[in-house]
Amino acid sequence: MTLKRISILLSFSVFILYGGLILSLFYFYNGQLFLETIKSERTLFSIRLSLITATIATIASLIIAIPSAYALSRFRFPGHGLIDTILELPMIISPVALGATILIFFNNPFGILLQERGVQFVFTVYGIVLAQFITTLGIAIRLIKAAMDEIPVRYEEVARTLGATPVKAFFTITMPLSKKGILAASILTWAKALGEFGATITIAGSMAMKTETIPIAIFMRLANADIEGTVVLVLILVFIGLSVLYGVRLLTRRTSPQ
Amino acid sequence: MPFIELKNIQKYVLKDINLAIYDREILALVGPNGSGKTTILNIIAGLTGYRGDVFFDGKNVNKIPAHKRGVGYLLQDLALFPHLDVVSNIAYGLKIRHYPEMIIKNRVEELMGALHITRLKGNYPQQLSGGEKQRVAIARAIAPFQKVLLLDEPTSSLDAQTAKYFRIELKTLLKRLEITAIIVMHDLLGAEEIADRIAILHKGRIEQVSKPEDILFHPGSDRVSEFIGMPNIIHCDRCRVLSTGLIEVTSGDLAIVLPYEGTKISKIAISPHDIYISDTEPPGPALNRFKGVVTEVIPLRSLVRVKVNVLGRELLTELSGEMFDEMNLSVGKEVFIIIKLRRLRYAE
Repeated sequence: MTLKRISILLSFSVFILYGGLILSLFYFYNGQLFLETIKSERTLFSIRLSLITATIATIASLIIAIPSAYALSRFRFPGHGLIDTILELPMIISPVALGATILIFFNNPFGILLQERGVQFVFTVYGIVLAQFITTLGIAIRLIKAAMDEIPVRYEEVARTLGATPVKAFFTITMPLSKKGILAASILTWAKALGEFGATITIAGSMAMKTETIPIAIFMRLANADIEGTVVLVLILVFIGLSVLYGVRLLTRRTSPQ
Repeated sequence: MPFIELKNIQKYVLKDINLAIYDREILALVGPNGSGKTTILNIIAGLTGYRGDVFFDGKNVNKIPAHKRGVGYLLQDLALFPHLDVVSNIAYGLKIRHYPEMIIKNRVEELMGALHITRLKGNYPQQLSGGEKQRVAIARAIAPFQKVLLLDEPTSSLDAQTAKYFRIELKTLLKRLEITAIIVMHDLLGAEEIADRIAILHKGRIEQVSKPEDILFHPGSDRVSEFIGMPNIIHCDRCRVLSTGLIEVTSGDLAIVLPYEGTKISKIAISPHDIYISDTEPPGPALNRFKGVVTEVIPLRSLVRVKVNVLGRELLTELSGEMFDEMNLSVGKEVFIIIKLRRLRYAE
């Protein structure tokens, strides 16, 4: 067997693995229950809450991630290596540990003051957004930095000799050239935020109709041994995720200038 | 008064560079790799920090950032913006400076016409050939009415013949638009064709700044002489126009025939590698073919330089070590030499 055949076979095995897992859900699929569940106020609340919190967390991540990624990609400054390393923190420690860290922070004097004088994060929707934001920020920076590293700095230098300020060069050259990478990073960040569970449940808890995102709803249904209900929610999550990824793929293909 | 002046510039390999470029002058910076040529361009463009002073038209521009210097820069890799088509690439500098639409349109069309790239209008950089990219990049660099243009190896991606025509065309364009240009080149022949003056750079120091013929006939140092290939300089005593568009120049007993371009010739420069050497009499016409005796053998890394006494005059020739071994040359051996007619350079 050639290397080509082995590698193709292995790539198919990945498809079979994920596809098989999704297909196996249909063993417990109940059409009547699916319609009832999806129409229920509680499910609709979970979907709405997940979409809104993931979108806000993604936007907040991007606002910080784009300039941070640019700084890490283009400039060398004291602490560069340290920042570059700490980006992986959400990936190397468990989301529950990350959530616990945030919870502990809000129990120290500064955290308590922040909650009393500012925003209440623990056991609120703000907590969900914060958990999603903290778990996705590092990944967003890492992905956008990778996209910006691909763009030679010479393009910006030429733009500057043509009269563009560094800011204008960034918006007219670097941003358009890395838009595909930024879009891909946004989608992955959003998908990661949508599926975030460990940190969210630690900070915001699992209160129905209050902090129940789709992953938390899945957990709660499973905890009550409601397999059919769990299947419905997992299918909703899979459907949202796959349609967004597919949509983005179409979008990036169409917006390509060449 | 110089239009651009560098005073005591230090950066990386550059050591105390002092250089003046005059208004509407084309200056070629020539030197081996790593001599600091591109760094000088980056300093003038304001793309890198440096120690020393840079003046534009008498004004110190040390604190003026790149986007306010008004210097066009053609990079060696051209760096055309891949997400913009040809027109948008050329118009970039004009749009960023908020020129009115009408001026942008006219300027882009004028430059596309001057550089013969009008037909490439809607194309993207990825669809262009090396030569076409070169033209688009030049149009983009000078579009925002830049009075100074820096060019880093502008012909490096072109074949020898195209490069030659391109240099002539570029010189005409620069002179017509009254642009002061500094061109980095690594080959002296190309620089001679385009530049008003040539600066020879070696290990971060300027060895000589002179007119092209002065570099060739009066190299200021051994390093310059070595860099330009240690040419044999022959001072001519007499010139005689032959009937067939040729001119015969005589120096002592040595008579060399050259193409006649309507002017008398006072000096000839012959590069050692443009002199063939043979241990047997070569066939064909005896034009510029002489008999001589080897007087000195200088082995270099992969080459051997051989001094040959021809009619009482010593000529330096150059050949590969392989050829040298094959001919078994040694001091005192009788040889034949042929001077390649096409590669001769001369001063009027």
